[in-house]
This record gives sequence, C-alpha cells and structure tokens, in this order.
Amino acid sequence: MSLVSGPGRGGVAAMPVEMRLFVDKHVRYIQSLDTRKDELEYWLTEHLRLNGLYWGLTALHLLGHPDALARDEVISFVLSCLHDNGGFGAAPGHDPHMLYTVSGVQILATLDAFDELEKRVTGGRNKIGQFIADLQDPETGTFAGDEWGEQDTRFLYGALNALSLMGLLHLVNVDKAVAYIQSCANFDGGYGTSPGAESHSGQIFTCVAALAIAGRLDLVDHDRLGAWLSERQLKNGGLNGRPEKKEDVCYSWWVLSSLANLDRLHWIDGDKLAVFILQCQDPELGGIADRPGDMVDVFHTVFGIAGLSLLKYPGLVEVDPVYCMPRSVIKKCLGK
Amino acid sequence: MASHGVLRGLGAGVRSEEARQKELQQIAAYNDLVELVNTKVAERQYTIEVLDLITKLLNENPEYYTIWNHRRRALRYLFAAPDPKDSSPGPSKRHAQDLVESDLRLTFLLLRKFPKCYWIWNHRNWILRIAESFVQTAEARKLWSEELQLIGKMLHADSRNFHAWSYRRFVVAQLERLQAPATSEPPSREARQSLTESEFEYTTKMIKTNLSNFSAWHNRSELIPRLLAEREAGSVARRKMLDDELALICTAINTDPFDQSIWYYHQYLMSTLSLDCPPQDRIVHDLSNHDRQKYYAHEMEYIREILEDEEDCKWVYEALLHCAGCYLEVEGGTQAFTTRDMRYWLDQLKRLDPLRKGRWDDLGRSLKL
Repeated sequence: MSLVSGPGRGGVAAMPVEMRLFVDKHVRYIQSLDTRKDELEYWLTEHLRLNGLYWGLTALHLLGHPDALARDEVISFVLSCLHDNGGFGAAPGHDPHMLYTVSGVQILATLDAFDELEKRVTGGRNKIGQFIADLQDPETGTFAGDEWGEQDTRFLYGALNALSLMGLLHLVNVDKAVAYIQSCANFDGGYGTSPGAESHSGQIFTCVAALAIAGRLDLVDHDRLGAWLSERQLKNGGLNGRPEKKEDVCYSWWVLSSLANLDRLHWIDGDKLAVFILQCQDPELGGIADRPGDMVDVFHTVFGIAGLSLLKYPGLVEVDPVYCMPRSVIKKCLGK
Repeated sequence: MASHGVLRGLGAGVRSEEARQKELQQIAAYNDLVELVNTKVAERQYTIEVLDLITKLLNENPEYYTIWNHRRRALRYLFAAPDPKDSSPGPSKRHAQDLVESDLRLTFLLLRKFPKCYWIWNHRNWILRIAESFVQTAEARKLWSEELQLIGKMLHADSRNFHAWSYRRFVVAQLERLQAPATSEPPSREARQSLTESEFEYTTKMIKTNLSNFSAWHNRSELIPRLLAEREAGSVARRKMLDDELALICTAINTDPFDQSIWYYHQYLMSTLSLDCPPQDRIVHDLSNHDRQKYYAHEMEYIREILEDEEDCKWVYEALLHCAGCYLEVEGGTQAFTTRDMRYWLDQLKRLDPLRKGRWDDLGRSLKL
C-alpha cells in the first residue's frame, strides 16, 4: 500500500500527520483499561471482560508490544473464568458461554499457554473441547451459545475457531456445520445469522472464516460476495455492514478480512480505508472509535488495528484473516 | 466497551471531584445489587422478592447475560410452585400467566431502550415458548399474534433492525405451526393457513414507505419461491409474478437510480433467470434461451434510457455490463449491444468509481474487454 515511504525516505515518523498511528498511546490506553475501576462503565461492561482481554491482547501483539500485559496475570484471570464443565464465563462468577470460551482459548493460544492450562486443570483442553462439542445441534449442524439454546452462525464460527486452535476439530461434525452455513447463503452471495436471514458483514465474516477453517472456501461465490463486500466502502473510505447503512471501524475487520479470505482485498481502496481508520483514533488518550470524534473502546481499537495490519500498514505485525490473531501464532498452532 | 455513535466528550480524568464521588456511590450501589442477586441465587432463594431484585438489576444493565440466566432459573422454579395468593396446593396456571405477562412487559420496555440487545430478544423468545405450555392453542396463537404486532412497532421505529426481522420470521413460523391442524394428514391448501401472502404484502408496504429498505427487499426475495409454491402457480402465473416484480423494480430504479438496495433486488430477479439458478429458487420454470434474451434485452433497454438523465450513475453501467454478460452466456451474437458499448460502460465505471478500480480491472479481464 502506498502509505509506505520507500527505503531511505523516512519511516512512520515522517508520515503526514493524518496517516500516523499513535502506537504508544494505544498501548497505554489498553494498559489503562483495567485501572478504571472508579468508572461505572467498567462495572457495567463486566459481561465483556474476557472478550475485552482478547481484544486488548491481540491489539498489543499486532502493535508489536506483546509483553505490555503481564503474562501470568492474564493466564490467571483467564483460568479464573473457566467452569468445571469446560466453558468460560465473561468474568469470575459469570455463566459459561461460547462467546467467552472462544476468547479464553484464543488468549491461551496467543500466549502459548496450553501447557499451563494442563498443569493447572487436568485434562483442561479436552474439557473445553467437549463443552464446545456438546453445543452442536446434531440435527442441523449449527451451534448454540450455551445451555439456553440460542443459535447463531457466530457460535458456529467460534466453535470451529477454538476447536481448531486446540487440535480438536474431530470432536464435532464439520461436514454438517458446513452444510448449515451453505443453507444460510443468500442470492447476493452473503450469509445471515440463520437460513433466510439477511446478509450482514459480521455474519459473512463468521461464515466465510468457518468455511476457511473447514477447508471449504470453494463453496463461496467469490465474485458475487466479493462484489457485495466491495460495495460496503463509502466515499469517506470507511466500510458499512449492510447496504445503505453508516460506516463503522469494526467493519474494517469483518468486511476486509472476508475480502482477504476471498483473495479480493484489491477490490476496495485500501489507502482511503486506512486514512478513515486513523481518523477514528483519539490522538491524545489513545484508542480507536467507531467513527471520527466518537468515544473510543477496545473493541473498535483491535478491529481498527487488525484492519490496518491487513492493509500492511508499516510496522504492524501480520494478522491472520481467519482468526483475528497474529499470523505467527496460527502458524504455530496449526503447523501451517 | 463497544460503544457506537457516542461522542467523545470530556475524559474521565477531568471529572470534578463531586462528579467522581457521585459515580463512586453509583458503583457501590450497583455492585451491592449484583452481589445481593448472586448470593440469593446461589442460595436458590427463588422468591418473588428476588425476581424483583433481578428486574431492578436488568433495568440497570440488560447486557448482563448471567442475570437473565438467573431470571430463567428463578422463573422455572416459580412456575412449578403454588400461587402465594391462592391456598390450593400445586402449580397455579393463573400465577404462571401473571409471571409470563410481567416478563413480556419487562422485555418490551427494555427493547424500546435497547433494540439491539441480543439477550432481551432471547429471553422474550424463551418466555413465550414456556407460556405456550400453559395455555390452549387458541391462547398461544393470540400470544404469538400480539408478538407480530410488537415487531411491527419495532420495525416502524427502525425498519432495518435485523434482530427484529429475524424474530419476525421466527414468530411467523410459530404462528404457522400453531395454525396447522393437528393431524398426521398433510394439510389441504385451504387449511394450511400460511402467512406467506400477508408477509409478502408487508414487504410491499415497507418498500413503499422507503425504497431503501434492503431488509424488506431481502425478505421479499425469500418469500417469492414459497408464495409461488403455495399458490401452486402455473407457467402463466409465474411469468406474471416475474413481470410484475420487474415492473416494480423498474419504477424504483427510475425513482432513485443511486440507491443500492434497489439494484440488489434487480440482481436477485436477474439471478432467477440464470441457467445456474437452482430449480427451487426460479420464478419461472420453463424459460427458453430465447425468453432469457428477451428479458435481458428489455432490461438493458430501459436501463440505458436512464443515462439520458443520469450519466454519472455507476449502478447503471454495472447493471448494463452484468446484463450483457448474462446475455452473452446464452447467445453469442446480438444486435442489442456491441463490444464497444461494453468497453465504454467499463470505462465509465472506472471513471465514476475509482474506489473499486481493482474490481473493474478484474471484470474487464473476465469479460475479455
């Protein structure tokens, strides 16, 4: 991407101010997140704590600061969210659910901590795998989020993501899950939450990435879906999630990673998107927001940075478009 | 932690001491309530008083999914318990219905404030399924019918809320299930009581209010194959459906050729003409290649006319190239357009839509232009 100055012409520091990523400020912002206990928002968002840790840790790894959070403390917190049945809750005392189980596994994988898991919880990996496998609907192949039964293609993706990281995909019926995803495909090439539901970029990410894990990207209509995804880019460079909706930084991940998985990244203007993401930074206190001038949060921070990584913004660590984790971690876990 | 559309105001660092103290009090009160609820539930004190505490907490934080789970645990217990206002032993139907009604009210009020919160929609779904087990089929039907009205209100407030559209399809399926006669015989056409016709009408209404409502166009594309099957439509009726839909979209395109929702529906209709379209998704089953050419040529003709007023609308050029590509798949030679026309359309796309330059370059290669 042309944001990069050529060799000998100055690096990131010489970039025009609108193209600068405030790496140090983002690192400090993420480090500060667990110190904000005097803000009501900190307590009202406890149900996102483990997701938040995955988002923050991943952002730090992509920013090239993998040690900015104390590894032991992170592992201890993650394991304090693990229930006897193998599922993770959002925080200690919160019920187990697929959404947090995936984050828990992703964090352990990123920290290369599966051995520690086994040391502290005998048979931990298999327990987690079994919790996930038990949530598959044997009739349809899709997955529930927890014992209460809500089903959504987000949970199906989460299951394949976490199981593949642990080398336990054989615990579930992958072919049935694939067939279910196919039944969610729409005429526009996209996918929804369930059969018949409207195409939505977040749901497209989950379905395309799940098919990538299953090795079945051949089932996706690359040109049709690629065209639909490319039309998510608006004049200001930002991406939206559905036709005629507003742009939002998180779609820099959902849309862009899907384009990457379909080998169609060049179907949008990457430079313009990068400028849009960078405009959403808080230049003083760090963090990235959904749109310029809005409140930042760690969710938009990681997906903005991951988007920039896919766009090859200089100095960022390479992200994997299927897992939203450092590419090197995925290579190590999957051996490819 | 995932805030959308909230303006960045003054940071936490610049709160006044007074504001900070006030926030600390709010935090203490909130955490006390959380601890109280968690303790009571851990002790399995599933009483009406605890249910009220849970209500209070959910009103403060409807995203706290564990508390919704606690609520369902308490309700499951209370449904099976005797009515405290009634001296007769065993579970009371009236008591259970009161509980259901109070949860429907709670979730309705919360959905108005938090229409995109997954957990509220889930709980509503759960409570209705439970309610069904207490009541006769007619009452259950009434419950789900009222639910359809509620979704109508939600979609009136935000016509693109995808939770509401998904839930609408789910509620319709429940109503159709309850209306089906309880015999093992396949229902006759009259007895089937499908809502497909009225749901199709609903999409017409939504589209007429706002042409940009892609959610409504999408649902329409899902309903058409079912509608035709349920009508047991023959060749003539199917062709009429196709022609009516093409006429509807033609009017929409002429009204606002810059709206992408409309062009996606146009693409949907075109996709049903294709030889690649699976039989169950086709609108007309007995199209000849000659028919296809006629449809493609007709679409291209009126779409080209739009250029007289709107030569800078990229969607027009994209549609022309798409139709031309389809045409060439069924018939190599044509008078309707030339390779030079196609090259011109592609050049216009590159001129008008530089964001997607890479895609137009690839398209040019695949069309050998």
